[in-house]
Amino acid sequence: MSDIFFLVLRRLRTPLILLIVVYAIATFGMTLIPGLDPDGQPWKMSFFHAFYFVSFMGTTIGFGEIPYPFTDAQRVWVLICIYTSVIAWLYAIGNMLRLLQDETFQNALARGSFERSIRRIDQTFYIICGYGETGLLINRGLSELGLQTVVIDYNAESTLSIELQDLATVPIVLNADATEPQSLIAAGINNSHCGGVIAVTAHDHVNLEVAVASKLLEPQTPVICRSEIEDEAENMASFGTNKTINPYLIFAQRLNLLAHKPSLHRVQNWFINQHNAKHINEEIAQQGLPKGRWVLCGYGRLGKAIQASFDSDEGELIIVDANYQDQETDASTNLIQGRGTEADTLNQAGIKDASVIIAATNDDANNLSILITARQLNSKLVTIGRVCKPGDHSLFIKAGCDYIIRSSQIVANEVLTYISRPLVTNFLRYSNTLSQLETEDLIHRISKVTGDKPPVTWRLILNKKNAPALARYIESGGSLSIDNITHNEQLPKADCIPLLLLRNNLSQLLPDKETPLQLDDELLVCGKRYNINLIQLMSHNEELIDSLINQNTHQIPLVRWLSRRQKN
Amino acid sequence: MNTEKVIFAFFIILALSLNFGFFIGEFTNPDHHHPYELFGALVVSLICTIMKFGDRTQFGSTVLASSLVVDIQLIAAALTWGYATQGAIGGEINPRTMASIVSLAGGALIANLLSVILLIIETGQIRR
Repeated sequence: MSDIFFLVLRRLRTPLILLIVVYAIATFGMTLIPGLDPDGQPWKMSFFHAFYFVSFMGTTIGFGEIPYPFTDAQRVWVLICIYTSVIAWLYAIGNMLRLLQDETFQNALARGSFERSIRRIDQTFYIICGYGETGLLINRGLSELGLQTVVIDYNAESTLSIELQDLATVPIVLNADATEPQSLIAAGINNSHCGGVIAVTAHDHVNLEVAVASKLLEPQTPVICRSEIEDEAENMASFGTNKTINPYLIFAQRLNLLAHKPSLHRVQNWFINQHNAKHINEEIAQQGLPKGRWVLCGYGRLGKAIQASFDSDEGELIIVDANYQDQETDASTNLIQGRGTEADTLNQAGIKDASVIIAATNDDANNLSILITARQLNSKLVTIGRVCKPGDHSLFIKAGCDYIIRSSQIVANEVLTYISRPLVTNFLRYSNTLSQLETEDLIHRISKVTGDKPPVTWRLILNKKNAPALARYIESGGSLSIDNITHNEQLPKADCIPLLLLRNNLSQLLPDKETPLQLDDELLVCGKRYNINLIQLMSHNEELIDSLINQNTHQIPLVRWLSRRQKN
Repeated sequence: MNTEKVIFAFFIILALSLNFGFFIGEFTNPDHHHPYELFGALVVSLICTIMKFGDRTQFGSTVLASSLVVDIQLIAAALTWGYATQGAIGGEINPRTMASIVSLAGGALIANLLSVILLIIETGQIRR
């Protein structure tokens, strides 16, 4: 603010001095030149009258010749003064207008308002560096959670669209180079409310620079980085980046999971993609990917990641790539040169007996062409396609693509889960240890509650702030098992399934329902979307706890209303 | 020699001189204090203020502050004068009002003096 103030004053120095000089001379002249009063006596204007007259003359208001009609000498002087003062005013106003349009001034204004909005933040906020497709998705997700975001992007055009989106919390935008530490400081990394820095620009090296700068500026602030190159990811991890996300690796793992443990993939998919458009064919999600021959078109970073996680004991992976010579591969790999968009190459890869085709090149048109051609040659193929441009997503759905890979979506999901649902991240990590039987049992139990729809997760933090009624109940000596708060005969609609119990930083996967709860426990549950679950009801309602656990009757309108609804 | 510095020093010293010229004389005697001198001192002081606008050095801000003090004191003096000489009250300035006008101008004189002293200090610093 003070910057702008002083900038204005400095720029307006000359016009202001000119105005003062013109006014002073005009006023002085008016007091010097004698006039005549109605009686014909000589009369001299006082400073007060002179200044009054000059003031309304200079601004061309013109009240007339007061207090007495002027003499000719006075009129000559006034004539000179009128033109001089008008010119001085024009000069001053012109300068002011020019200043308003001045880029320096505009920048100072923008910076001022930006700094003010950063200072005013009174809740946790996240700094997003890079507003590409990933940044957009993360920003939207965080905004839906009611979290404030600060977006840093060099490109002013890409951030313009933020204003057009209907976001619940409007992000604060800074158009600056994210690799400059100054931008991070301006974005409030030192602010105590800063919850973390998310570096999701398109360039790994930029993300790395952001991570280094953030860790040096504020070691305590979590940093989440997108990284598509292994080396950079290791580099990031080496100085304490809290999470690096490689979409290709993640996707390859998920593909692997879908091929080998489809039910676990299904469970994980529910919790990862809580708000997403459909990207996987329901049938494939339930049955998993068929084994046998897989054809992979495009041997880039995604292709390599898929190859690395492919289990060659269970099938055969044929790689089709146009730049065959450039790739260094070991002899055991089946490589065929070609783009894969034409039937010849695909036939060469044995598409007729293949079970899965993966179009993983970095060109949407080629990928679509590969998928469509492959489908024509073999209609039973499961098609997996990679989308690069967000707009092409609908084309892949139209083309009947069974599994759509969107790296930006993968990164955004990871980031959002990590930030907003830490227990889900834990659950996903440990769920790999679940056996087939346990997974299917879990699916069955969840489906019973949600009616085959994807569940939503909910976290209970058992302390005085977040669940006062439950905390008081435990403090007063009441025993509370997980079953008490997740299932009740009287309120079957409010049922939920416990997924994970976090106690003293130790995660317990699918905790036993008789486990007694303690203060400061965190419990992850899932239930039906749009239904309020039992825990939410009980967290703040002591009478409800009493009546459900101790069977004491209370006149609780909600219970009455719910039970009446059940009978009908 | 820097023309801008010369002009600035000129205005600061001129403000002090004009101020002093108005201030000197018998305290309560209107004949000894001419309104033109007050007017001149006020205008020059306003110009000084604007010349110091936007200077963010420590020295610059102190001079700006003292310059603002001069403005306020002199404007107050001018307003008192204008009020005392208005027709409704009689148009004649009495010794008491004159005394308050001159003491306001005296206050401005001190602030002006301070500006000049600061100017001299700054000049001395540059030489070293």
